[in-house]
Amino acid sequence: MTENAIEMENLTKKFGDFTAVDKLSLNIKKGKIFGFLGPNGAGKSTTIRMLCTLSNPTSGSAKIAGYDLIKDPSKVRENIGLVAEKMIMYDTLTAAENLRFFGKLYRIPKQKLEDRIDEMLELVNMQEWKHTQIDKFSTGMKQRINVIRALLPEPEIIFMDEPTLGLDPQTTYSIRDITREINRSGVTVILTTHAMIEAEVLSDRVAIIDHGKIAALDTPQNLKKLIAESDVSIFGAEITNLTPKLIEKINSLDVVDAVAQQDDHNLKISANGTEALNQIIDIIRHEDGNIASITKSNETTLEDVFLAVTGKEIRDQATGKAASTPHMDGEAPKSRIR
Amino acid sequence: MDIIQILQDSYHVMIKDMIEFKRNRFEVAGLIAFPLIFLLLFGFIFPSGNTHENVQMGLVNLDQGAGSNEFITQMETMNKQLATTKNSSYMSFNNYSSVDAAKTAINKGTINGAFVIPPGFSSNVTSGQPGNVIVIVDNSNPTVAGTIEQVSSSTIGGLNGISANTNVLKLGSEANQQINPQAIIAPYVQNIETTIPGESNYFNFLAPGLIVMIGMMYIMNGVPETISKEKEKGTFDGMLSAPIHHISIILGKTMGLTIRGVVQCLFVLIFAVLLFGVTVQGNLLLVFFMIILGIFSFIGIGIMAVSLAEDQATAAMIMDFIMFPMIFLAGVIFPVQQMPWFMQDISKVIPLTYAGDAMRKIMLLNANVADVSTDIIILLAFGVITMLIALPLFRRGMKD
Ligand SMILES: Nc1ncnc2c1ncn2[C@@H]1O[C@H](COP(=O)(O)OP(=O)(O)OP(=O)(O)O)[C@@H](O)[C@H]1O
Ligand SMILES: [Mg+2]
Repeated sequence: MTENAIEMENLTKKFGDFTAVDKLSLNIKKGKIFGFLGPNGAGKSTTIRMLCTLSNPTSGSAKIAGYDLIKDPSKVRENIGLVAEKMIMYDTLTAAENLRFFGKLYRIPKQKLEDRIDEMLELVNMQEWKHTQIDKFSTGMKQRINVIRALLPEPEIIFMDEPTLGLDPQTTYSIRDITREINRSGVTVILTTHAMIEAEVLSDRVAIIDHGKIAALDTPQNLKKLIAESDVSIFGAEITNLTPKLIEKINSLDVVDAVAQQDDHNLKISANGTEALNQIIDIIRHEDGNIASITKSNETTLEDVFLAVTGKEIRDQATGKAASTPHMDGEAPKSRIR
Repeated sequence: MDIIQILQDSYHVMIKDMIEFKRNRFEVAGLIAFPLIFLLLFGFIFPSGNTHENVQMGLVNLDQGAGSNEFITQMETMNKQLATTKNSSYMSFNNYSSVDAAKTAINKGTINGAFVIPPGFSSNVTSGQPGNVIVIVDNSNPTVAGTIEQVSSSTIGGLNGISANTNVLKLGSEANQQINPQAIIAPYVQNIETTIPGESNYFNFLAPGLIVMIGMMYIMNGVPETISKEKEKGTFDGMLSAPIHHISIILGKTMGLTIRGVVQCLFVLIFAVLLFGVTVQGNLLLVFFMIILGIFSFIGIGIMAVSLAEDQATAAMIMDFIMFPMIFLAGVIFPVQQMPWFMQDISKVIPLTYAGDAMRKIMLLNANVADVSTDIIILLAFGVITMLIALPLFRRGMKD
């Protein structure tokens, strides 16, 4: 057997004329946590759907757990677990009924299944909710059940598409802990997230994909080093009278790669070249911006890498998510605190 | 993957669907309420037999002679005889002083039509000339107009009979002969014998077809609905990414739907018998078999629609497109014989026609398997062929 859990070769998905995933070639080692990052519509979910046999690749091939995606889809399915963007759960069924139904589809023997259900409920601390209908649960509780549902058949590989989206910090940490724990027991984890910190603390390796192509691929540490060593600088700017027009002006500078708004007054600007800071200050002053402070971060974060790699364009036409929000809102401050 | 495995997996899917169904009060209530509403609607919209009750008629007597008074008395006597029950009457008479007054009443909707006895009626009758009675019919509503024409012609016909009877008897006694007036006035008599005992009843015609039709509607709406619901919620991905044959999913779902559909059909049957006086002459087991076969024959079309449609709305539209002609052209609600030839031809390619036909023969005529074997073969073939087309379509349609 190979030491790769997943091998993709020129994996491509087109929707009509639109190429969502563009000749993706990538190997993911067994027993690792692999993070997929990328702006909305980059093609992360589409890639995962193809790898889970839910979507037929337009061209290219992939091997999952040693089985060919096209030739042996049922073998592939036996070895994977999926935590999809939408929760895979029936609202009117209880936690146990949901788990039991999916467990049976994986042919887990009756007694073993019952034991496994209890074991998994214990893992997420939800034993007392076993016989409660899902529609009575909070989002966090639902997601915990959703995750253990995917883990129930003890898959070799688990795909998690934005598993912490919309969860409170406690549940987010608990999901991350579970992810680490199952990974320690040997499960390969493929993770997509918009939370940079999550990718950074969990992943062994990260791929930043954009327009269906890999834009960067390495360990989080190496990626950060890459930015630190390049002439890309990340500035924090606090402007008391920040306007969208001003952001637009800064963004239009040639030296600026990306601008991300952090809050009402703070911007994060990714720029390159030695003249960058002067030009940025000039344009802010020219637009009557009132600069309270400018900082240059000494420690680069994965978010900085992300910005530098994926650039300033906002993908509003991509998915159903809110178009006007920058793609890293919400989770961004955490990454800055570090 | 072997067949046992597929069946086991579909069983799990079916059980899961059943639990979901059980927890949804609206769906459970609908299963019972829907047949009842349908029976009530169709049963009462369409006239049951030829009995009329309380037809509101205006009466304008412009003659006021002995002849017209006698005419009216006899009409009232006959009205009582024609009444179906003791307390009801066939017609109700309302007197008006002029034709215009009667016409106004018709326009207002107080009466449905009017008898007008013109001046000189009595003298015409006594002098041996025809006694013309004018019947005013409101032909803005063809159905009511038809009814009134029927009512008035049977009234006038009946009165003619009565007066002919008297005249013949009178002539006979004048000629000093024993005469049976009926033999002269109406030498030919029809005796209607029915295939099923009891009063002929529109529900008897309606119920057997309605049973399979409701089963058909349940399946054809249910298949697209159950699949699209899961697709939209995202739970479908959970089943598709599990190591099961995709056929198991659709099989399990249709098994669940079939069971619920059969239960619904049985409700129609029970309501029809208990509430609407429908009688079942045939073998109940055969009725049950026909229900299942009828439902089976529609599953393939349902799966095809859901496989070809992108979403629930499109699937529902395709279904309506297929279902509406079936409902009206299959001879369930209107007899096929009433339709123009091209519609009769269309009805021949609709499976519901055969299912309804077989059900009617079994339920009402006590037909046995051999009697309805053609229907059975056609339904089986239709079901199998559509299924064979649908399943590959379904497998292909599941992935994007
Ligand atoms: N079934 C489909 N038909 C047409 N286009 C699709 C379909 N599914 C996805 N796409 C398009 O493919 C592109 C990639 O979508 P995908 O869901 O993979 O993005 P993503 O990286 O997961 O984004 P997000 O971060 O918003 O989840 C998007 O532009 C999307 O609109
Ligand atoms: Mg996605």
